[in-house]
Amino acid sequence: MNTEASVEDQLRQLGPLVLGSLLRRYGNLDLCEDAVQEALLEASLNWAKNGIPERPRGWLSTVAKRRLVDLFRAESARRGREERFMVGAPPAEFLRVPGEEYDNDRDDSLQILFMCCHPALTTSSKIALTLRAIGGLTTQEIASAFFVPESTMAQRISRAKRVIREVGATFEMPPSIEIEDRVRAVQHVLYLIFNEGYTTSSGPNINRSDLTREAIRLTRELHRLRPDDSETCGLLALMLLTEARRPARTTSDGDLVTLADQDRGLWNASLIEEGVALVTLALSTGSLGAYQLQAAIAAVHDEAENSSDTDWIQILALYETLEYVAPNPMATINRAVAVGMVQGPVAGLSLLETLEGDERVSDHHLLFAVRAHLLTMAESMDAASDAYHAAALRTASLPEKRFLQMRALQTKVT
Amino acid sequence: MKYMVIIYGNKDLWQSFPPDVAMDAIARVNAFNQSYAESGELLSAFGLGDELTARTVRVRDGVSVVTDGPYLEAKEFVSSFFILDVENEARALDIAAEYPFAEHSAVEVWPILHEAGQEM
Repeated sequence: MNTEASVEDQLRQLGPLVLGSLLRRYGNLDLCEDAVQEALLEASLNWAKNGIPERPRGWLSTVAKRRLVDLFRAESARRGREERFMVGAPPAEFLRVPGEEYDNDRDDSLQILFMCCHPALTTSSKIALTLRAIGGLTTQEIASAFFVPESTMAQRISRAKRVIREVGATFEMPPSIEIEDRVRAVQHVLYLIFNEGYTTSSGPNINRSDLTREAIRLTRELHRLRPDDSETCGLLALMLLTEARRPARTTSDGDLVTLADQDRGLWNASLIEEGVALVTLALSTGSLGAYQLQAAIAAVHDEAENSSDTDWIQILALYETLEYVAPNPMATINRAVAVGMVQGPVAGLSLLETLEGDERVSDHHLLFAVRAHLLTMAESMDAASDAYHAAALRTASLPEKRFLQMRALQTKVT
Repeated sequence: MKYMVIIYGNKDLWQSFPPDVAMDAIARVNAFNQSYAESGELLSAFGLGDELTARTVRVRDGVSVVTDGPYLEAKEFVSSFFILDVENEARALDIAAEYPFAEHSAVEVWPILHEAGQEM
C-alpha cells in the first residue's frame, strides 16, 4: 500500500469531520479552521514517519484541540478580550482534558459546506474557503491552482472568514426553507472548481487537475450526504462524463482538440460507465434540472463509438429541454450546433440570428465560433474565416485563441 | 478574471500637481493598494521609471540594437501598472475608477489571457 497516498486520503476525509466537531463546540470558524489545518500538517509529517495511528480521528481531534487552545490564548492575549470567542463555549467544557472525545461518529461536512458557501461571500471566496475548510488544501496549493500569490490567497481566505464572523453565521443547519438554495450554491461552487481545473490545458499547469479531482471528491461527498437530490447526482455524472474525455481533449502541446476529432480510444470507459449509470438514476428519480440535462448530453456524446455515430436528434431534444428548464443564451448557442447537425447549417445560423440583439452574448466569442462552424458546414468559407477571426479576437483564453486563429487561417479561401 | 490596469502620464502632468495634491495622491494610492491587497483582489502593483530611463531593444540581422527611450513616440507613457484578479469585468472597471490618478489621466483595463479553454 502506498502509505503517502493513503495518509493524504485519510487526512482529506478526516479534516472536515474534526473541523465539524470543533465548530459545533466553539463556533469560531476562523480559529477552528486554522487549528485543524495545523493538526493536519502535523499529522501528515508524523503519520508518514510513524504510520497511521490506531484511532486517527481521535489523534487529529486531540491535536486540533491543543492547537485551538494555543490559538485561543494567542488571540485573547492579542485582542485582550475573551468573551467573543467564548460565547457558546462553556469554559469548563473548553478546558476538558485533551484526548477526551465526543460525537466522534458525527459528520458535519454538510454544515461546513453550507458555511463555506454562505450567500454573503463572493464566488471566489466561496471557492477558496471550500477548498481549504472541506477540501483540506493548503493556502499555497489553492494559490498555485489559481495562479495568484500565496499572500493574496491568504487574504482572500481570512477575509472570507471575517465575513462569516461579521454576518454572524452560526454553525447550524440553515432553516429548512434556505437549505435548497444553499445546496444549489454548493453545487455551483463545486461546478466552478471542476471547470477551473478541467478547462485548463495540460502542460505547464498540470497541478490544476487537482482541482478537478477535488471537485469530484467533494461532489461525491455531497451526493453521499444528500442522496435524494437528483441535481447533485446529475452534477456528479456531468463531472465524470466530462473528466472521462480529458486525456483526449488537448494535444501534448496543449492545443485544444474538438470533440469530433478526439481519439475516443483515450476516453476513460469506467468513468463513462459510472457517469451514465448516475445520470440514468438521476433522470429516473427526482425533478429535472440543468446539471442532469447537461450530463445526459455528455452521456450521448460519450456513448457514440465515433463522432459520426453521435445521436444528434437526441442531443437536440435534450438542448431544447435544457433551454426550457433553464433558459440561457449559452444553451441556445449550443443548441444551434445540434440544429446544424440535424436540420442543416442554414437552420442553425437562423437560430443564432435570434441572439444578435441579446447583450449577454452578442459579443461572446462562442457565438462567433459556432457561427463560423456552421458557415464552414454551409461552405461559405470566406464568411467562416471572418467569423473565426472575430471569435479569436473576443476570447480571453489563450488555447482558444490559438485554436480559432488556426481555424481562421484554414478556412481562408486561397 | 485577471486584468492589467495601466496608468499613463507624462512629466508635464506629474509636475503640474502642487505638493499637497501630489502628497495627497500618493497617500491615496497607498491606501488603494492596501485596501485591494487586503480584499485579495490586487495581485501586484508596480511603478515604472521615467521614460528617459526606458530602453528599446531591436534585433536586426542577428545584431541587437539598443536605443534610448520608449518604443512608441507618444506624448504619454506608461507610468505604472497593477494586476487584479476579480469576479468579472464590471468589478475591474469599478476598481480602476477608484484609482486616484483616474481623475487626472486615464487608466486602461486590459484582460489578461488565461490558459483555460472550452472543449470546442
